[in-house]
Amino acid sequence: MEESAFIYSPEQLNYKFSNEHPFNQKRLIITKDLLIKLNALHSNQIFPARMATDEELLLIHDKEYIEAVKAASLGKGRSSFAMTYGIGTEDTPIFTHMHEAAAWLVGGTLTAADLVFEHGYKHALNLGGGLHHGFRGKASGFCVYNDSSIAIQYIRNKYKAKVLYVDTDAHHGDGVQWAFYDDPNVCTFSIHESGRFLFPGTGNVNERGQGEGDGFSFNIPLEAFTEDDSFIDAYRTAFREIIKYFQPDVILTQNGADSHYFDPLTHLCSTIRTYIEIPKIAHELAHEYCEGRWIAVGGGGYDIWRVVPRAWGILWLAMTNQLSLINRPIPKGWLKQWELDANVSLPTQWLDTPSIYPEISRKEIINQKNKRTVQNALKPILG
Amino acid sequence: MIIKDIMITDVKVSSPHATLKDALQVMVSNEIRHLPIVNDENEIIGIISDRDIKDASPSIFDNKENEFLNKQIEDIMIKDVLTALPNDFVEDAAKYMTDNQISCLPIEDNGKLIGIITETDLLFTLVKLTGADLPSSRLEIEVPNLSGMLSDVATIIKSHNVNIHSVLVYPSSKNNKKVLVFRLQVMDVRQITNTLKEKGYTILWPSKMERNI
Repeated sequence: MEESAFIYSPEQLNYKFSNEHPFNQKRLIITKDLLIKLNALHSNQIFPARMATDEELLLIHDKEYIEAVKAASLGKGRSSFAMTYGIGTEDTPIFTHMHEAAAWLVGGTLTAADLVFEHGYKHALNLGGGLHHGFRGKASGFCVYNDSSIAIQYIRNKYKAKVLYVDTDAHHGDGVQWAFYDDPNVCTFSIHESGRFLFPGTGNVNERGQGEGDGFSFNIPLEAFTEDDSFIDAYRTAFREIIKYFQPDVILTQNGADSHYFDPLTHLCSTIRTYIEIPKIAHELAHEYCEGRWIAVGGGGYDIWRVVPRAWGILWLAMTNQLSLINRPIPKGWLKQWELDANVSLPTQWLDTPSIYPEISRKEIINQKNKRTVQNALKPILG
Repeated sequence: MIIKDIMITDVKVSSPHATLKDALQVMVSNEIRHLPIVNDENEIIGIISDRDIKDASPSIFDNKENEFLNKQIEDIMIKDVLTALPNDFVEDAAKYMTDNQISCLPIEDNGKLIGIITETDLLFTLVKLTGADLPSSRLEIEVPNLSGMLSDVATIIKSHNVNIHSVLVYPSSKNNKKVLVFRLQVMDVRQITNTLKEKGYTILWPSKMERNI
């Protein structure tokens, strides 16, 4: 039997603020097409998402907030919604049927959870999920409903499993962290560009949880202009120590693809090399600690042509043990399919050449600072 | 912001007749370094810090430790206490503390102790003032040191319907310039920075170019 499931429904593409908005779910079809043209994704591996029910949304979100999203969805939004609920702002504008579109993204992550816990799949991927900035009563940073928070609470209630949430998006996974800040059965680990430079500003090392959840929230804020080696080293070291300490039953990874040098919203200097290591290590650890149980979702990623298809394609390849395929060039059929749509020239190889960005003169200072940050973050475990 | 808004009101105190041993115990168990000394009317008559006790303690080589710790606080406390009032400005209190090189200020109302502020409280206030505790992005602009610049930039931010969490105005290393640092409630700041660039502003952050930060 297949070990991995790929969740996709065309309804997930309806989560679209405007043509100009950087959050663009076209990424889902471009990535899926790349995998199909590579002959790495087959129809028996693809499962449809579903629309989350109100009851499921209520696992995390406030009723008034859901009602406000529904009203906005039908064109009955009010200007006060921007201040009260964070919808109708420049980041998270109102669009028709936004409630349904956002609930479909949530349903995808819930489907992934069910496939892993009920249908014998070891891994499941919902690239449409990963909306980690959604709060209980407020939209923030392009995110309306927080699929990961909802799925984690759903897994807690239905399957009583201990969940380790690992967030490698360049932005701090604030929504998920705060949702489980006092819960000792959910451990959150976010590695991101330091909030001194980047939205949302939180994600400091000293945000460690509170009450019973104290010690179950980990943050590694990396310096701006951090490169592959330092990122990978920090991620690998912290992930290994945290999982050893927490002993989860399942891993949920948020795989935002916006730490890449090309990403227009952030200031890290990762290349595709980082996007090989991220899922490879998650896959290894899922087998080592969780009998393989691993749910992965998408997230940010705003260079939708040069970065996201490769990064997310590799996520699936790592999940299905097909990473050797990246030694071949990018399939010609895919390049042909999208070259007219793309406003940049598409990559022809999976890996980046080192010359895509100028040398970072403060490299040593940045690497040392990141090392110290990792030590500080792991202090409660390692002393 | 005034002192009343940030002061600690649950103040640990001691009486002048308590022993140094008692005082040390209160400081250790509450993880504090200063104890205001009050009389029966809750009037501030002295203050003592863990440093004062250390400075006054005999050398560990002569065996007088016990005798010393049983001394009364009254004997070594500082009697000339510097205090502030609840309606003083936080920035004035901070300057008063740095001018006098002290790290805490008891707050009094008609001579009676009603609160205390320490360096830690001031640092926490600084964190809040910089707006880094709410979902926001950083925007840093260099402007000529002329009147109206902040207002011009704020108007542009307003035209993008974006909320400002905090703003700081720094002197620049260049004489005739100022640096404006905003925390904005927005994840994608590019629309704003594009408008600012079109209007000729120098954006220091966000930047794709590495610089000394």
